[in-house]
Amino acid sequence: MGIINYAPKILDPIPGGKYVVNAIDYVVNWARANSIWPLTYGTSCCAIEMMSSSMARYDIARFGSEVFRSSPRQADLFILAGTITRRMAPAIQMLWEQIPGPKYVIAMGACTISGGPFIYDNYSVVRGAQNLIPVDVFVPGCPPRPEALFHGLLTLREKILKETCRHPWHEGKPKDVSTMDRYREAAKTWAALEEMKDEAMAEARAKFKEEHPDYKSAYKPVRVKKEDFPEVPRVPFKRFGLTQSELFAKLREKFPKVTVHTHSEDPIEDVVAAIPADRPLEVMVEPEDYLSIVEFVKSSPEFNMDYLIDVTAIDYDDHFDMVTMLRSLEHGHKLFLCVQMKKDFSIPEEKRATSLLASVKSISHLYPGAEVKEREVYDMFGINFEGHPDQRRIFLDKDFVGYPLRKDFTHPQMIRRPV
Amino acid sequence: MPTLPPGFRLQRETNTEEFFINMGPQHPSTHGALRLALRMDGETIVELVPHFGYIHRGMEKQAESMSYLQYIALSDRQDYLTAIQNNLGVVIALEKGMNVGVPEKGEYIRVMLQELGRIASHLVFFGCFGGDLGGQTCLLFGFKEREMIHDILEEVTGSRLTTNFFRPGGSRYDVPETFIPRVKAFLDHLEDSMRDYERFLSKNIIVLERSIGIGVLSKEDAIAYGCSGPVLRASGVNFDVRRVNPYSIYDQFDFDIPVFHNGDCYDRYKIRIAEIHESMKILRQCIDKFPKEGPWRSKEKPVRLPEGRYYSEIETAKGLYATYVVAATTGEKPYRIHTRGPSFPHIAALNKMAQGHKISDLVTIMATLDPVIPEIDR
Amino acid sequence: MERKVCAHIQCRLGPMRLGWHGTIQTVADVIKMLFKEVYAPSGADKLMFYLAPLIVLIAPFIVCALIPFGRNLVVADVSMGIPLIIAVNGFGVLGILLGGWSSNNKYSLLGALRSGAQMISYEISFTMILLFVVMISGSTNLMSITLGQEGTILDWWIFKIPVLGIVAFILFFISSTAEMNRAPFDIAEAEQELTGGYHTEYNGTPFAMFYLAEYIALVTNSALATTCFLGGFLPPCIGVAFVDNYLNMVPGVVWFFAKVYFMIWCYMMVRWTFVRPRVDQLMDFEWKFLLPVNLVLLATGAAYIVIWG
Repeated sequence: MGIINYAPKILDPIPGGKYVVNAIDYVVNWARANSIWPLTYGTSCCAIEMMSSSMARYDIARFGSEVFRSSPRQADLFILAGTITRRMAPAIQMLWEQIPGPKYVIAMGACTISGGPFIYDNYSVVRGAQNLIPVDVFVPGCPPRPEALFHGLLTLREKILKETCRHPWHEGKPKDVSTMDRYREAAKTWAALEEMKDEAMAEARAKFKEEHPDYKSAYKPVRVKKEDFPEVPRVPFKRFGLTQSELFAKLREKFPKVTVHTHSEDPIEDVVAAIPADRPLEVMVEPEDYLSIVEFVKSSPEFNMDYLIDVTAIDYDDHFDMVTMLRSLEHGHKLFLCVQMKKDFSIPEEKRATSLLASVKSISHLYPGAEVKEREVYDMFGINFEGHPDQRRIFLDKDFVGYPLRKDFTHPQMIRRPV
Repeated sequence: MPTLPPGFRLQRETNTEEFFINMGPQHPSTHGALRLALRMDGETIVELVPHFGYIHRGMEKQAESMSYLQYIALSDRQDYLTAIQNNLGVVIALEKGMNVGVPEKGEYIRVMLQELGRIASHLVFFGCFGGDLGGQTCLLFGFKEREMIHDILEEVTGSRLTTNFFRPGGSRYDVPETFIPRVKAFLDHLEDSMRDYERFLSKNIIVLERSIGIGVLSKEDAIAYGCSGPVLRASGVNFDVRRVNPYSIYDQFDFDIPVFHNGDCYDRYKIRIAEIHESMKILRQCIDKFPKEGPWRSKEKPVRLPEGRYYSEIETAKGLYATYVVAATTGEKPYRIHTRGPSFPHIAALNKMAQGHKISDLVTIMATLDPVIPEIDR
Repeated sequence: MERKVCAHIQCRLGPMRLGWHGTIQTVADVIKMLFKEVYAPSGADKLMFYLAPLIVLIAPFIVCALIPFGRNLVVADVSMGIPLIIAVNGFGVLGILLGGWSSNNKYSLLGALRSGAQMISYEISFTMILLFVVMISGSTNLMSITLGQEGTILDWWIFKIPVLGIVAFILFFISSTAEMNRAPFDIAEAEQELTGGYHTEYNGTPFAMFYLAEYIALVTNSALATTCFLGGFLPPCIGVAFVDNYLNMVPGVVWFFAKVYFMIWCYMMVRWTFVRPRVDQLMDFEWKFLLPVNLVLLATGAAYIVIWG
């Protein structure tokens, strides 16, 4: 691409030279515009639509673009299919830099245009690809249909055809688009416009009222009749394995301290018996007992809780609830263990947001699958797991500050949802 | 012993020089933004560490400031291949809280769309499996039939991929009159083409060579890691939420849960093909019994959940999809919503399966696990 | 043509916009690649990096020169045609190895090593088949090999020797597919595993050379198959003088390219229908199956010539 950029300088002064330059332009643009090879890149939903677009029904090959190169060095077009997160952003910039020029970028889908559904209350999504790399064509939609992608591709084709080697393709720089809340900005502008319109129309309205003092609008509000639907009772739930009361009684026999969460004054057995069948039994467990209870329910043949569904946590003002969901594949009953952990308030308040506030024993030696789940809880809540073999952040970067799923979490790039 | 990069644990003495390969986050066979760090001895994988989070979008944080209904739209974007099934997972949890039921026609709509979604997801698997083995043509065959499902979904829900269709008490709309004939026509077509496709891959000697005995996951490991769905059933565990905890009206249909016992890549492939046939069986029964008259949803109520914790689980094409809703106060907004996606434990068990195999086998194993990364990262 | 064939196998249309049904799509691709930015990755051995595609491109061109396209249409009619082809074909491996090694990329290196091992192994059976052809035709000159097949369609080497000819042709087909690194034996590129193998780091013109070399190798290998088995530029006479007269009126070049295109089409059909074996299975296939069969073929061929020839 280097040489032809000098062509206008040399050829234009020569009489008739500009026709040669035009011819070169025509050939080069024709080739570039009709053979756009995209990079195989996709993170989420849009990637599937991008794949669909190259499949038999839609066939992106008609435009000569079906050669999806997996190496960025052989690609021309970077279709940003799917949400861009802060963790992915450096990789995207690197990929873009590796594509040899002239290179083009299509931002596909709402997420890459503005953040899409992930604008508000979000700490990890980059709001718009144009903050990272220059974008040529935006294709809106969530996700856009393959036809929309084709329209984007053809728009890009037109853009390429307009290039000349007098004004050659140049590597753009990412625009400095601030991550402001554009929705609110637009709403403000809109309100101002409405006000102006209102002022402009005020005179005309007054005049109309003078001329027709007893005018009544012919418009009558019509209400679409809503269909009536019956109330349907819930289908009774088919239970397998032990009932909640049996489970609870057996557990209580061994560990007298376990309870269930309740506000009523009734005896605890009645509360357990009142739990609907389709809701699993959730018992409150002391942090000290946690490991031994898990060991017990795993090994005891009556319980036989061999399958770990999930480990998660909930953040309250002064404590965490860590919920371990267990299930018995053999019997079919489920048991949720809820560990209530008081937050460690001895840590000074300014340091609380960045430090581990509670600690519990890890169960990853009993359930290997718990390892990643506990890492997730550690990453999101800042709960320490004693005896965890590999306690690292799992979803967020090493240097991420704070624990996002805590209720008091703040992030400089987070925008609150307008109520 | 040199210090190893984070995550690697295996200590071993070797005479050969080990090296590390980074696979992803942009790699054609990682099915999205997943990064795998491989420790290699020649072409053999010694150890593998997955790195998640490249598509972590903070959905659970966002859900805390959304209403319950808004979260249904987010659940589409978790596992976008089975979006319609995720919707149901969330909706069932909400129904438990609201204590509303679904009329018969509504349940039939649900089951039919569920099974269509399952077939669509398994067809993508079929395509990716062939494609990752090197047969690009397979990829197109899988997607060809899937487009017909998308046509049906589009007609019913208005959207190809992110359906956002179910609501507590039923669904957003009634199905159009053309729905049943279209599904019927699609099933007849699929039966023919599945026969062709199976002939294309199932008995192909290269496919057999490359998948039998590769990536074996034993029954104990599969349970211990919390695998679910076809991966667990290929390892010989008969666990399907549709059978053990029937939601919707799955207990009214006659269908089998295919179980295979070797736990290798070929079994995971076969089980999905068998499941397509089972889904077709369910759909045929649905078509026969589909009620023509009757309400398709129950009375509309504001979506307000009383205080409590609600849990639902369904069987998506990938496995056990559980939603855990915490309502701290009675209201329209959740205190916290947690989702348990089926792909997460599968990737956690990937190291177990890939150890000692070649890098080409890793691609096969990844394809048969059929992970969807945004569902892991959420 | 590749893209059209593949598209039709996959129930789609393929390129439609440029020329009649996208016939000049490749021209646009090549022009575009020529005008792209070229750079070598940091840490790459620059000299080797740019030398590798040249080597890869030169090898099939030399083979091209040796093949008789018509009765008087041959660039270099050397008497040692077959040995020269074998020698030059081996040359291409060097380019691929160099390219993979000089890119300073682990994927490239893995791809290059795979393809080195593969091509050297398959070279042996490739050579043996050509040896079989030399044995039955009694010459190493490609022109005389072609002219030895004069007569009816049954005089072509593929049909002249019962069964053995067809077996040899199939073996040639397999080993030449592997020799060209084409799917299903494209483990060196293996897009799903190695993102592109030895040419992962190449862009612009050097990549266009690799790309071109692959297709020229496809043409030359088809031409070689045509020359050695399908009677080269000779028309498919059937022994009826009335028909043969008409067939003979068509120039040899046309017959030659018709046959070459048929061969190319066969290669493409195979490429887009099969899945890729693993690298160790590929080696097993060569050393444990293909080579023994080749040896048996060679021995039977020799016996045939001694007894009936």
